[in-house]
Amino acid sequence: MISNTLRYLPIILSLHFCAGVITSAQEIKEEVEKIIGNTFGEEVSYMIQKYSLSPEIKKKIEIEVKQRFFDAYIYIYTVSLDDTTIAYGFLDNVYGKTMPITFLVLLTTEGNIISSDIIKYREPYGGEVSNESWNDQFTGKNSKSDFTVGKTISSISGATISVNSVTKGIRKLILLYQSIKDEL
Amino acid sequence: MKKRYLSVVFIITILFMFEKSLAQDFDFFEPKVTIAGYGEVHYNYSKTEIDKSKKTLDFHRFVLFVGYTWSEKWSFKSEIELEHNIVDGEKGELELEQAFVNFHHANYFGFQAGVVLVPAGLTNEYHEPPRFFGVERPDYAKVIIPTTWFGNGVALYGNTKGLDYKLTVMEGLNSDKFSPGSGIRDGRQKGFKADASHLLYNAKLDYTGISGLRFGASYAYNNAQGDSTSNTIGLAEFHAQYQNHGLYSVFEIGNITYSTGEVEASHGYYFDLAYNLGLLFGIESKIIPFFRYSDINTAAKTKLGGDSQKEYHYTQWMIGLSFQPIDQLVFKIDYGKNEQELNSRETTLFNLGVGYVF
Repeated sequence: MISNTLRYLPIILSLHFCAGVITSAQEIKEEVEKIIGNTFGEEVSYMIQKYSLSPEIKKKIEIEVKQRFFDAYIYIYTVSLDDTTIAYGFLDNVYGKTMPITFLVLLTTEGNIISSDIIKYREPYGGEVSNESWNDQFTGKNSKSDFTVGKTISSISGATISVNSVTKGIRKLILLYQSIKDEL
Repeated sequence: MKKRYLSVVFIITILFMFEKSLAQDFDFFEPKVTIAGYGEVHYNYSKTEIDKSKKTLDFHRFVLFVGYTWSEKWSFKSEIELEHNIVDGEKGELELEQAFVNFHHANYFGFQAGVVLVPAGLTNEYHEPPRFFGVERPDYAKVIIPTTWFGNGVALYGNTKGLDYKLTVMEGLNSDKFSPGSGIRDGRQKGFKADASHLLYNAKLDYTGISGLRFGASYAYNNAQGDSTSNTIGLAEFHAQYQNHGLYSVFEIGNITYSTGEVEASHGYYFDLAYNLGLLFGIESKIIPFFRYSDINTAAKTKLGGDSQKEYHYTQWMIGLSFQPIDQLVFKIDYGKNEQELNSRETTLFNLGVGYVF
């Protein structure tokens, strides 16, 4: 019995590991799709692009916001209705204390925030940053808006690191949109 | 048979590699070691009406955080604290204040096992120096909620729709060490071969659904045991904190009941009001003057009654300032007076401090 179990262990382990990786990525995709569907209705279509950041633009924004990009690329969803682009979705990550926080910012073609959502939060503390009421504060903001935590963006006691991190992350994407909107 | 087995393994490996390459998109997690920490150095001056003044310089806390994330769900977190610079006999303390394996299923459910913190009050779980006003932690967070309150145990936690809950079961308290002047503080076993015959249960529920506001309550219950005593305690507390538009306000109130012994109840509350002047000057640095009022009585209700209920009762007012050039650094100054009820004796306090977190 034991030898049988050992024999199939590689199969069980690889299937298990496979399932873990796929589930996590799939969950993120499905959550983004759900938010796009709920915001714009089921009749819209969207295209996903893995967008590579140019080093110059990346650096300029990082210096201005005082936060590095998570990676050299972000995911951009172009949302269309009857072949006309009506919005963009920027999917990116920032670090909390130890883990990535995956978040989505939906933007009008003018660069105003429609909504921001935490897609995946992985840490035991600071999960309150996913609260709708906190994320609602960003609606309507654009590249000229103030993003000061404690002034125009309220903080959450017990989630300070996440609040600061996500706020900067959202601002980075707003500035990025201004820099790249012509090529989208 | 062996061939068939090998081909199954081979196919699964290929499948895995194929799926993995697909999954790399949108798979943002990478295993990672995290090193972080915080610390605070203090100058404390105190003078009672009849005694000589006392002045001390103390590196109160030096804390290192080490964590590792194996996967999105499984991680380890720890905090080692050196208090008062050295460990030599009765001087100083070296403590493992947190060391737990964490399973994070989703925002609404996770669990921790190891050395965990009791989720009582605002300061016990979140105690880095920039997070509270005053050089020292509020007196309330010393004798009513005995921060830092930690021990061996397990906790279930979660956050959904603005509700933040935590249920903790851990080592109990040593009732022999309870005292009228310090409440349950000295009864903490701190994880040292802790007696697990009578566990402590704690439940906390917070609401954070209103922007800038956190409020909630917790209740801790323990049939505390000692070598010569047994004392069932219940600690009920309510806490609220608001921070928005530059304004900070904090309110905490707590009550401890004891089933036996001379003291029947401990009671305390405090509130803080503060404002970030940095916003008025249009600068990123924070300049936050604050005002605090506290009312503490670790022997609020006694069997003896009368003056014994006033002996440990004092009120405190305090004014101070926190200057944060960046969010992770804080320079603090405060001045205050304690007034004991029994003989109206006053103690003057003056403190300076530097704190950091990274």
